[in-house]
Amino acid sequence: MSLQPRAPRPRPAAARARTWAAALHPRVWSPTLVALAVAAAVWSWVARRSPYVLPAPGSVVEQLAGDPGLYLVNAWATLSEALLGLAAGAAAAFAVAVAVSESVLLRRAVMPLAVVLNVTPVVAIAPALVVAFGFGILPKVVVAALTTFFPVLMNTATGLRSVPREVLQVFRTVHASRWDVLVRLRFPSALPFVFAALRVVFPLSLVGAIVAEFSAAGATAGLGTIIKVAAANSQLDRVFASIGCLALMGALLLLVVTTVERRVLSWHSSQAR
Amino acid sequence: MVEQRADGDEQAFVAVRDACKVYDDGPRHVTALHHVDLEVPRGRFVSVIGPSGCGKSTLLRLVAGLEEPDSGEVRICGRTPAHAAERKMVGFVPQTPALLPWLDVLGNVRVLEKVNRAARRRGPEPSRAAPERCDLAGDPVALLRRLGLGEVLHRRPGQLSGGMQQRTAIARAFALQPQVLLMDEPFSALDEFTREAAQLQLLDVWQELRTTVVFVTHSITEAVLLSDTVVVMAAGPGRVAGTVDVLLDRPRRSGLLDSAALHEHEHRVRELLSSAWHAGAGAGR
Repeated sequence: MSLQPRAPRPRPAAARARTWAAALHPRVWSPTLVALAVAAAVWSWVARRSPYVLPAPGSVVEQLAGDPGLYLVNAWATLSEALLGLAAGAAAAFAVAVAVSESVLLRRAVMPLAVVLNVTPVVAIAPALVVAFGFGILPKVVVAALTTFFPVLMNTATGLRSVPREVLQVFRTVHASRWDVLVRLRFPSALPFVFAALRVVFPLSLVGAIVAEFSAAGATAGLGTIIKVAAANSQLDRVFASIGCLALMGALLLLVVTTVERRVLSWHSSQAR
Repeated sequence: MVEQRADGDEQAFVAVRDACKVYDDGPRHVTALHHVDLEVPRGRFVSVIGPSGCGKSTLLRLVAGLEEPDSGEVRICGRTPAHAAERKMVGFVPQTPALLPWLDVLGNVRVLEKVNRAARRRGPEPSRAAPERCDLAGDPVALLRRLGLGEVLHRRPGQLSGGMQQRTAIARAFALQPQVLLMDEPFSALDEFTREAAQLQLLDVWQELRTTVVFVTHSITEAVLLSDTVVVMAAGPGRVAGTVDVLLDRPRRSGLLDSAALHEHEHRVRELLSSAWHAGAGAGR
């Protein structure tokens, strides 16, 4: 007599194909398309009524198509600042999170500082950093790192503490070392929290880079500089073309994170479809 | 009759002597264990049963070394629980499966192998209560197959039923080849049907490995079906009210569940529980 409960079946290729077919069904993408069309219509209407507030979508596209090199070069400048800052900020936050989760003393010392850093508006810090580090790439990277640091720190610290008590008990009964608990339990348990933070800070790092560029506008490359200078000269189409580039970059960064997350966290309930 | 072990090694293998444990619960103190003694001979399956709050899980945590007694002592094979843990002599199955969701079934069973690798050098040989001809000792895959998990070796816990998860947790503990296996109500969250199947599979594996087991449970039938001895505990304060030796032949099969002999043992355990309850009530509970 078999008393075993039936196991769920693995997903064969046919099932995966069905998932794709479902994702491409009009009821999935049509609401987004309709919303975009409505937004474009509203934009065109407002642009016609007050062209000094909002440029027509057509002129923005013209602006982009007319000088794609300008936007590519400056988008790359902003993106590299953002990504460098992101890498530095996230790595530092992760290291600090591990340190504070392992030591109460460090937690008490570091966390209040981290909170103060977080509640201080980055817009206020950026000019000071430009003064300190000059007009090069460094202040932008530092600002992007600062915007990244706190969300990653808080989420990772929470994640590292999220191992269920009974799992820790099982590991204690075999005298697992702190290192084993950290590497085999705490790191993987923290991953869903880390990715939740990354989803926020990947696009946020662009905000940090742009804010820093605003503070040193005219002296350096980057979409922030273009926006600041173009706005001062009332070149609205140029401003909106840059904004469009930034929106696209943010969306792409988010797409990268969610794609990696889906692969890495395939075991986690957040990825259940 | 209870089988006597061939080597006649009947000395207390797990020994709890005069253990007391009091918890501070705000203004009042809760006496979880009041001068409790427990002796488990090598290779025996002992169940601890009692109402909620009788301290049976506390007793198990003391043996597991997860808590220290306020007074009294705990010994596993003559060592303190901390020393036993260092030598990986103890397998622990908590109430929830406590599996790692990012590892598959086999990974979960093998993960404890990879921690505290120095244990085998320090400690005694792994438990070999039934050493010769034993296919299961040291072979996690064979163990999982025997527990009915052969088809799901590479599934993750999230893809398993509750019963399968709990059997994976049991396989993980057995795979350590521990001297003592401690189980804290491992089947309490399962439905009746699944629980019976899991109990029989546990018996099947234990019959071969003969690890010393301390099994905490709420279920009288489960305690009698699985054990050589049932230790009955009473609450307020937590204490041992008596023991019932289960004189049923092994190996035990599902047919036993309907037998008069099993019911008679259940009756004796129930009477002990009941009289302990009334004695406690009379003492001003």
